[in-house]
Amino acid sequence: MTLSRRGFLNAAALGTAGTFASDMTRLDLLRQTSWADEVKKQGKRVILLWLAGGASQFETFDPKPGRPTGGPYRAIPTSATGVHISELLPKMAARIQQTTAIIRSLNTKNADHGGGATIMETGRIKDPGIEYPDLGAICAKELGRLDSAVPDYVSMYTSTEGRRKGTSGFLGSRYAPMFLSESMQPENIRRLESISDIDHQDRLALRDLLAKKFTQNRHSDSLGSHTQAYQRVRGLMASEKLFDIEQESTEIRAKYGPTQFAQQCLIARRLVEAGVPFVKVARAWWDSHGENFETHRELCADLDHSMSVLLDDLRDRGLLEHTLILTFGEFGRTPNINASLGRDHFAAAWSATLSGCGVRGGACFGKTDEDGHKVADGEVGAGDLFATIFTALGIDPNKEYHVGARPVPLSDFGAKPIKDVLA
Amino acid sequence: MRFFCRINLVALWLLSIVVSLNGAELPSANLPIEQVIDQFVQQRLDTAKVAPSPQADDANVLRRLMLDVAGRIPTSEEAKTYAANRSAAKRVELVDRLLASPDFFWHQRNELERMLLPNKPNDGEFRKYLLWAVKENRSWDAMFRDMLVGDEADENRQPALTFIKSRARDLDDMLNDTAILFFGVNVTCAKCHDHPLTPDWKQHHYFGMASFFSRTYVTKKNLLAERPFGEVKFKSKRKDDTKGEQTAKFEFLTGAIVEEPVVERSADDIKKIEETIKASMQKDDAPPPEKPAFSPREKLVEVALRAEDNRFFARNIVNRVWDRFFGRGLVHPVDQLHAANAASHPELLDWLTRDMVAHGYDLKRLIRGIVLSQAYSRSSEWTAGSQFPDAALFAVANVKPLTPRQYSLSLLVAVNNPTQWPALDQAEPWTTRREQLENTSNGWAGSFEMPGESFHVAVDEALLFSNNKRIEDEFLRDSGDRLVGHLKSLGDNQAVIEAAVLTICSRPPRGDERAALDDFLQKRSADRLAAIRQLVWVLLTGPEMRFSY
Repeated sequence: MTLSRRGFLNAAALGTAGTFASDMTRLDLLRQTSWADEVKKQGKRVILLWLAGGASQFETFDPKPGRPTGGPYRAIPTSATGVHISELLPKMAARIQQTTAIIRSLNTKNADHGGGATIMETGRIKDPGIEYPDLGAICAKELGRLDSAVPDYVSMYTSTEGRRKGTSGFLGSRYAPMFLSESMQPENIRRLESISDIDHQDRLALRDLLAKKFTQNRHSDSLGSHTQAYQRVRGLMASEKLFDIEQESTEIRAKYGPTQFAQQCLIARRLVEAGVPFVKVARAWWDSHGENFETHRELCADLDHSMSVLLDDLRDRGLLEHTLILTFGEFGRTPNINASLGRDHFAAAWSATLSGCGVRGGACFGKTDEDGHKVADGEVGAGDLFATIFTALGIDPNKEYHVGARPVPLSDFGAKPIKDVLA
Repeated sequence: MRFFCRINLVALWLLSIVVSLNGAELPSANLPIEQVIDQFVQQRLDTAKVAPSPQADDANVLRRLMLDVAGRIPTSEEAKTYAANRSAAKRVELVDRLLASPDFFWHQRNELERMLLPNKPNDGEFRKYLLWAVKENRSWDAMFRDMLVGDEADENRQPALTFIKSRARDLDDMLNDTAILFFGVNVTCAKCHDHPLTPDWKQHHYFGMASFFSRTYVTKKNLLAERPFGEVKFKSKRKDDTKGEQTAKFEFLTGAIVEEPVVERSADDIKKIEETIKASMQKDDAPPPEKPAFSPREKLVEVALRAEDNRFFARNIVNRVWDRFFGRGLVHPVDQLHAANAASHPELLDWLTRDMVAHGYDLKRLIRGIVLSQAYSRSSEWTAGSQFPDAALFAVANVKPLTPRQYSLSLLVAVNNPTQWPALDQAEPWTTRREQLENTSNGWAGSFEMPGESFHVAVDEALLFSNNKRIEDEFLRDSGDRLVGHLKSLGDNQAVIEAAVLTICSRPPRGDERAALDDFLQKRSADRLAAIRQLVWVLLTGPEMRFSY
């Protein structure tokens, strides 16, 4: 037994949760319909559509038409009775009742890119004594499998704006994201041509054999993780094709369309389908200090289309009820429209959405005041949003990690799930 | 006039330390450190009725010592020389040679850097300071003063201030990191409420510490400065609090309070000073502000180091050095020096603390004592049928993940042609070589994660070694300056295996290993070079290379 004691316990605890994708040969089943049934039995998945730079709630999910702060766009009715969203999101409007809950009353208090991002990534404010893991790392730990053959946290971010890798904090690098920044393919996942596949496999096998001898009588979690890391190499290499959208039918690819964001959403779907518990797709350039309305016309069209296709595709495959799709960034944007027709950073009253797994479609929680300056009803913070996310996924938000002697609950002290948006 | 007063806050455990430090119950101060370590560690093992693992063999001890003291694995020449040395005093000789070597200077610099400035790696100036301080064998208390008070005019010491400057934007960073790194206490929780787990830490401790740093700022020209006035106010977040807003005192963790002399200032004076400060923060050409007569940071250093209050400072560094070599502190975790978290070997910690203070905070002295102890040189294998022993017993050596720097340097040593090192007795070429290795390792160190508590190796690392072209180009190249180049020039497989294992693992191959490697080479005789490369890859990526054991 080369697994560390703790690793063993974790694996045992996970035993009932998943025999999921335990080897990549099963990926060949991907195209069979039974695969979706297999997924249903298993754990939950998350796709975070991260709107980097901060999308405007006015031009997305909390429009204020006709008000001085409202901007030029209209509000349109959605499939949920009484819920209106911006006309820039017509496809999503048709899907709200079926899929999506809106939270309009976020007050996250920090309108600085770095600080705001930290809060929205970890669900709490930075604490100098401790490195908190982000949502992806927590989900990777809670939903993933210790010996998973697929990555358990993939983060896609090919733009340069405020590039953030994500952090697994005190959970350790086992749960750090596989970060795609240069291309749509992860680094080092493909065998070099200078070595044959057989040699690649054989040297790993010999390595493993010698390592066993060394680890036999030595007890260390870190040592166990080293063995596991090398044991996961071949599986992860086999997951290379998960990142290849050429594997999809032309029909599906046509549905998603040509934008990078949409293609990354397609990869995200391929990944969750294969059992990856957390995928973050970041769409940049929302930081519209100038020309907010032009910017949002362009970006919302991309978001509206990509998100709708993604939701439809997940639904068609029976994956939607097990996959939670989130949209938010580090904050929203100001009610006031500045001299460059822009909106600035604003964290006091903004919106986020949750779709799919565990979510009550059509729910619209909280209210901002007439002009969107303040939360008028149902104020919630990042911690509450995180507690809601965990609850939707069937994870106890009050579960505690221990850092040294210090208990750290998954969602911040005092945070409560927003019951109204939960199924 | 300023004076110090003590308030009656010191918990009983602190008093008991003072007693035992001054009392006669500790073993003589004149005993060798290693002897005292072994005495106390053995006592606890006896009480627990645990037989420790045997001493590690010579090759293992050499490798561990080299990684811990020199920051790299031995060359095959060093391994051979040590194995062939029959002197009974060879370990002492080795330790003394290493502690005087450039290898130690660089490694000690690297270790201090990762402890003191973990979020700002490769800061050229700070590293320069550390290297200077290590070469001088500068005492730890002097380094503490260099980093917290410093001297902007002293060429050598000035860069030490990076410690505070790099944290000056955030009061919490300054006070937490200082408390954690120099005093071994984490008072973060006490910011909002009295510490829930530790009766020692109250809110006023946190804000007391904060008051020593609250006036610190950095000017536009990056000079460290302090305001001449300013108070820290705090309020309990407890609902039943009746005190309301309080003004923090300059209160150290021991309860010692520094009184600030009262200075009368007119509203006009205050305005003028505020303007000078503002200008110095905004303009490059504004004159640096005058140093205030009362410097809270200076006071903090003064209090923390004086005999009646130095127990946090002294115990912390002893515990941290111990932690570095044993992979676990006598007090564990190292930032939890408080009553609710007793030391595994309290008398030993007391004795070592007394020794540390008595010998002027000489880190090298403690390091030497630790690595010469039997407790340090046990095997990391637990082969006794019994349950794996409590880590606090130090009954078996810990397996420690290498730091990115140790790992990079060791990989570079391993892949070098083993016949091409300068001779060990040639100090000068070796210094140059080590410096080159340091520079080359910069490029690699960034590829690996810094191990923290409960460190897990990321799968990215395994993928990097498996599929990255740099690994192949730089580590598996068959040119004459590389191990692979040397191995391919050797005649038979046995010679290849012996040289490869000795160079990478610093020991002769074991029987089963020899057979497995031989089998691997034989099956690939059609492409011998490729086979040698894979063999080197197998050994390079093994746990023996990744960990100190």
